[in-house]
Amino acid sequence: MWRLNKVRHKAVRHGDSLEELKLKRREHERALRQARRDRQLVSKRLLLNDDEDQPEVTMDTNTGEQDAVGLFLKLQHGGLGREAHLEALSKVLRDPSAQLAFLKQENSMHLLVGFLTGSDATCRLQAVRCLHELSHSPHASVSSACLPATPYLLTYLSGQSTKFSELCLYTLGNLCPDSDAVKEKLLAQGIIPALASCLENQRHNLAVVEAVGFTLSQFLQAKNAAEKIIPMKDNRELLAHGALLQCSSLLVSLGGAVAEGNKEEGLELFICPLLRCVGNLLSSCPVKELSTQAGDVRIVAALCTLVQAFLQSRPALARESAWVLNNLTALSSASCSALLTLNLVPGLMKLLPFSQGINTMILRILANIAHKKKHFCAQLTRCGLLSALCATLKMADQEMVTLSMDVLYMLVVGGPQVAEEFVKQGGFPLLEALQYNGEGAIRRRATHLLERHLLSCSSYCSENVPCS
Amino acid sequence: MLRPEPGRPESPRDARPGGGGGEGEGEEGEEGNPFDFAPQPVRLHRDHELFEDGDVLRHLYLQDLYVSEEAEDKRAVSEFACHFSSCSAVFSSLEEYEHHYNSLHRHVCCSCRRSLPSARLLDLHIQEWHDSLFTILAQRQDMYQCLVEGCGQKFRTSKHRKDHLVRIHKYPPDFRFDKTKKNRGTQQTKGQQQKDTAMEVVDEVCEGTSDPPEQGESMETYVCEEEAARMATPASSEEHADVSAADPSTESPSTEPPKARFSYRLVFKQVRWK
Repeated sequence: MWRLNKVRHKAVRHGDSLEELKLKRREHERALRQARRDRQLVSKRLLLNDDEDQPEVTMDTNTGEQDAVGLFLKLQHGGLGREAHLEALSKVLRDPSAQLAFLKQENSMHLLVGFLTGSDATCRLQAVRCLHELSHSPHASVSSACLPATPYLLTYLSGQSTKFSELCLYTLGNLCPDSDAVKEKLLAQGIIPALASCLENQRHNLAVVEAVGFTLSQFLQAKNAAEKIIPMKDNRELLAHGALLQCSSLLVSLGGAVAEGNKEEGLELFICPLLRCVGNLLSSCPVKELSTQAGDVRIVAALCTLVQAFLQSRPALARESAWVLNNLTALSSASCSALLTLNLVPGLMKLLPFSQGINTMILRILANIAHKKKHFCAQLTRCGLLSALCATLKMADQEMVTLSMDVLYMLVVGGPQVAEEFVKQGGFPLLEALQYNGEGAIRRRATHLLERHLLSCSSYCSENVPCS
Repeated sequence: MLRPEPGRPESPRDARPGGGGGEGEGEEGEEGNPFDFAPQPVRLHRDHELFEDGDVLRHLYLQDLYVSEEAEDKRAVSEFACHFSSCSAVFSSLEEYEHHYNSLHRHVCCSCRRSLPSARLLDLHIQEWHDSLFTILAQRQDMYQCLVEGCGQKFRTSKHRKDHLVRIHKYPPDFRFDKTKKNRGTQQTKGQQQKDTAMEVVDEVCEGTSDPPEQGESMETYVCEEEAARMATPASSEEHADVSAADPSTESPSTEPPKARFSYRLVFKQVRWK
């Protein structure tokens, strides 16, 4: 991700106008969304060479095919210059029809594997580049031709050559999604320990670490990954290993960075998976262990920062942050208390008018706080929650209205003056109107509030004609 | 969209894609109290629509924003040669050199000069080929370890191990890093001949042959004899003569230098960059 800036320059320089780029990207996005809805969202990744900035295939098809066959024959024949031939082949194999032409040659894969495992280091590198190009093909018939190389690619993962490891990793990662049979084969060949060993040996090289992450994530995209690949590793084990603690503290740091105005592109690519880990791990964490597992309670501040920072630019991320905050406040009084002490509630309340699922989550968070202690209810009221509720009670969203009344109920029950205050702020007619709402749940709540709590209060009695 | 299902407050609830269950119609309490809000953590399945945008963003990154192979390490250096004097490979970048070194000179057996792709495979090789204690023990117990890391199984013979690799781990039957000692036949004779044949071996490795790699010729390459001798030097002076003169292919258990292995690794640390 640190490379994003460099790549961005290159992409723009390529001649496409900004408009065209935007259009392309939008189309691309649409395709990805549809793919996700069809549960078909899978990506392969291509490492470009130093001198390339776009993966364009510039040659015409016929030349590509001829070149591929010609190079194959030269390599098979032997002789000097094989390093150069292999390098040329890796470039030619960018072209899909060249790929097919190459694979049609008998023993072509055997030749490549021979170079991959031979005594010439440069040839090995070029051979893995060839394989990498083939692995990137969307046609399983092409990428599956690479399968004979997998035991060697895996063996090389415990080596030390960084560039080479990266290529092996991305090639393996590209092959993973092709079929369940491929995944099973890789599992049998020991891909998981190989990845672990690679991560251990090369953990100081970020490029390799990212590549390991990619390969592993490709592997885990299988539908039944949870049962087959990581059979015993449920959330409790992850918790035991401190996963929640690590992810939470990372989020705290990131929240701090974002709060300081760090606008680095790609940050959200990092934040997103962290949020999801924390969100789901929290819901598996036994309440008793929460204080040790969830760590620093300042994570509430980080989460609020993230919600606000991404509200306009990436509302989905804001929503995910709010979701995590809901899970946290549902389980932990300490976090509810922190939100109040750190004076984060007014900021949250400002988000209540925003739709796209954010306001319901925020209201849920406020409800979680109110539910914990009556003392919290008083504080919430002091923050001005009542007037915010007067606004939310008028919304069309039924969930918002229902939640608003739930919160109102807790506030009212929490302190005697609250009902009066609510009436003073003009809340009474809002509830009256809700008595005629289409939803039974809403009607019942409105009626209960009015009859049991509001009708008896002095401000009503003094200002209104008592109703029958 | 994300309504947790009604239930006990402390238990986590899963939110299924497409909305939750109850409408929030509460269990009516004792006094007909319709309020049943309870704080609920919401666990989301990875296919949940809440995650759609984040997933799409990630795949845009994977597909649109191609990662180019970075030239970060490419400092401008004049051409320089491989540290091993009899290896005539030449490089114009540190990256190239690193790859060459790591592939060919890193995990080398000093006894027979074979290069293995990883430390683990080197260890296994040394045990199985050059350790007489291993040979003795192997007559009585299962000593041949599975090559797949994490498997842990051991076998009585290398053939059994190979069968296991093929059957269980779906390895190819001609896996190049699993040579049995018998295959050494051809290489053994080479080593036993005079210096010029040894030089042949050197040429073969360090400059690349003119023939394409054959089936039998594995990844196990030979480090130059002179280099093997140099590597053994720091270990101990008395062994120096032995190792350099020694026929690399014959086993001489008493002078088997496990130390040479370590001295090899020391050599690595002494590599100087221009």
